[in-house]
Amino acid sequence: MQSSPAMNDVKNSLAVFEELKNSAGFFDTYAAQLVSARKFEKVVGELDSLAPIKVAVVGNATTDQICSLLRFWLGLSGFRADIRQSPFGTLEQSIFDPTSDIYANDPDIIWIFTNHRDVPFEAIECEAEADYDDKLENAIERFEGLWANVRKNCAAQIIQNNVDLPLERVMGNFDGSSRFGRLTFLRDMNAQLSRRASSGVSIFDLDHISNVFGKANWCEERYWHHAKIPFSLDAHGYVAHAVARLIAAIKGRSRKCVVLDLDNTLWGGVIGDDGLDGIKLGDGPAGEAFVSFQKYLKALSKRGVLLAVCSKNEFENAEEVFLKHPAMVLRKDDIAVFVANWQNKADNIRIIAERLKLGLDAFVFVDDNPAERDLVRQELPMVEVPELPENPELYLRTLDQSKYFEIANFSREDQLRTDMYRNNSRREEERLVHTDLDNFLRSLNMSGSIGHVTENNLSRASQLINKSNQFHLTTTRYPEAKICAMLESDEFICRSVRLKDKFGDNGLISVFILRRETETEMTIDTWVMSCRVLSRGVEDFICNEMITLAKSSGCKKLVGKYIATPKNKLVEPLYDRLNFDLKSKSGQDSTWSINLEQSRDEQENFIKKVSEIEYDQF
Amino acid sequence: MTLDRNTLSNRLQEVFKRVFDDPDMTISDEMTAADHSEWDSLMHIGLMASVETEFSISFSAGEIAHLASVGELIDLIEERSKASGA
Repeated sequence: MQSSPAMNDVKNSLAVFEELKNSAGFFDTYAAQLVSARKFEKVVGELDSLAPIKVAVVGNATTDQICSLLRFWLGLSGFRADIRQSPFGTLEQSIFDPTSDIYANDPDIIWIFTNHRDVPFEAIECEAEADYDDKLENAIERFEGLWANVRKNCAAQIIQNNVDLPLERVMGNFDGSSRFGRLTFLRDMNAQLSRRASSGVSIFDLDHISNVFGKANWCEERYWHHAKIPFSLDAHGYVAHAVARLIAAIKGRSRKCVVLDLDNTLWGGVIGDDGLDGIKLGDGPAGEAFVSFQKYLKALSKRGVLLAVCSKNEFENAEEVFLKHPAMVLRKDDIAVFVANWQNKADNIRIIAERLKLGLDAFVFVDDNPAERDLVRQELPMVEVPELPENPELYLRTLDQSKYFEIANFSREDQLRTDMYRNNSRREEERLVHTDLDNFLRSLNMSGSIGHVTENNLSRASQLINKSNQFHLTTTRYPEAKICAMLESDEFICRSVRLKDKFGDNGLISVFILRRETETEMTIDTWVMSCRVLSRGVEDFICNEMITLAKSSGCKKLVGKYIATPKNKLVEPLYDRLNFDLKSKSGQDSTWSINLEQSRDEQENFIKKVSEIEYDQF
Repeated sequence: MTLDRNTLSNRLQEVFKRVFDDPDMTISDEMTAADHSEWDSLMHIGLMASVETEFSISFSAGEIAHLASVGELIDLIEERSKASGA
């Protein structure tokens, strides 16, 4: 069979894209990254899998260089970016003017691209300590004013650079050692920016980025004088990469799970050959590197990144290290799915993804063996596979610098995630014991509460709406600012759902937003649920609540829409199963409704409805 | 070892080909930015950065701004490479 020329183009483009993913380094020189970016621009048209995103970059400095590399690094992070820039030197004007070009395409992200030169030197010459607080307050209020104006003019998420501390110190050491020196001021400013950034504003830690790059190389006056380029050309790729990862996090595309090899990755040597006493772990320099790496991984898991093991080993040998080796930092409880067998790793990663109910694009695969890395890259291009250096001392830094697991906000659910997933696999075991599904669900002793979306759970609610893909009927994405506006509007009813069972608290697992279309018609604008609680009747439980809410608002009709995406096939049959009537179908999208004037049976489920207070008490 | 002008010019041509993404591009001493439609101020910065990387040298802000022709660029690379002992 012959493939058409067009198909070959697509194939070649994909190959070029994969090659760029593996070869491009964020520390490569500007010259090298320009070449990579050019290659990317040639094939981007054929890359259907990239998600569109609109970004506006606003600053007083020159932004052309950062934008060309930002489009490239957003591409490698899964986006096709439409990027607009403010004209040179028009930070304030562009933001204050509602008709400015940066708002013209209704951007998803506005990046306020400032640097230390945007804090005028005079603002910092505090003659007396008394001026200091006022000047600091003024400097912060200037940024808050920018944010408020962006908010007024569009619904974009804001990314705000903090101050890259300058190299030169007029007062020498005193600049940073005195209570009112220039460096003290700028450091205070950075701390205040982080404290005062409201939801809807993400601070981009430019100072950290400049430190990692190396301040002496970062400060490149030549190109500032030549073309108002704010820092070294060679640092532009590193900045673009870091901000692309932050944008990915804001759009819910950070990685969620790291799949770990064992031999020579979590410890030195081969457990099957060297035995429990022979592997390098703990004592001595060779073993300590692995302990550090494990500590880092453990910390990752505590903040909500799932760990899985995928090792070519006899299961008992692999498990024994976790159970018996005194220097192991990671324990079985830290691992959400543990796979040790002789199957190929690509298949095993597919199995891990299924068990965790996560898409393959949520995974990072860490393995010291280049052949395994290659196999996984070829078989599963959606999985990120960092090139590990030879030295185990550098594993930690390699993974850390890749910034796969950036987050834009943090919730209690993130901390509990590993527990929840492990509990899930215990529930799965329980399910095998109960042959009858109803009996199983009854035995779970589930109770659910339905409450308002409030300031306390807003970040989790927003996370669900913006990160979930599978159980998301309309895949609406709303910035927190927009959700806040909905909470205050009479047009919308927003609710959050929590679920508990005998194994523990699942936390906030679903959010829905009803929209009053007319006096008599209520539409389900957004309905999103965590896949952890699939097949447990939660949909039925929530459906009953939606009907009650719609009826009590005097509506006669409840309308649900399914808008198909490559990722939400799971819920295509949902409204049918919940006994909605099909109203119309266009392509794979469909519209469903319930006539609320007709009597109907409640959707059967085994979840006891409790009030918010009861939920928190028992 | 100092680079003879011919070798240097050939290496520079390779840089131009890469930056302008044009495998057939040829350069000459008389060539200026006006001779190539894509050679704008943005491209100029990419070009200068690539030349600096290729020859491990560094230009000043004034030099970057005031280079008039490829010939002058070659002179400058020659001078800088000698100075740095390349």
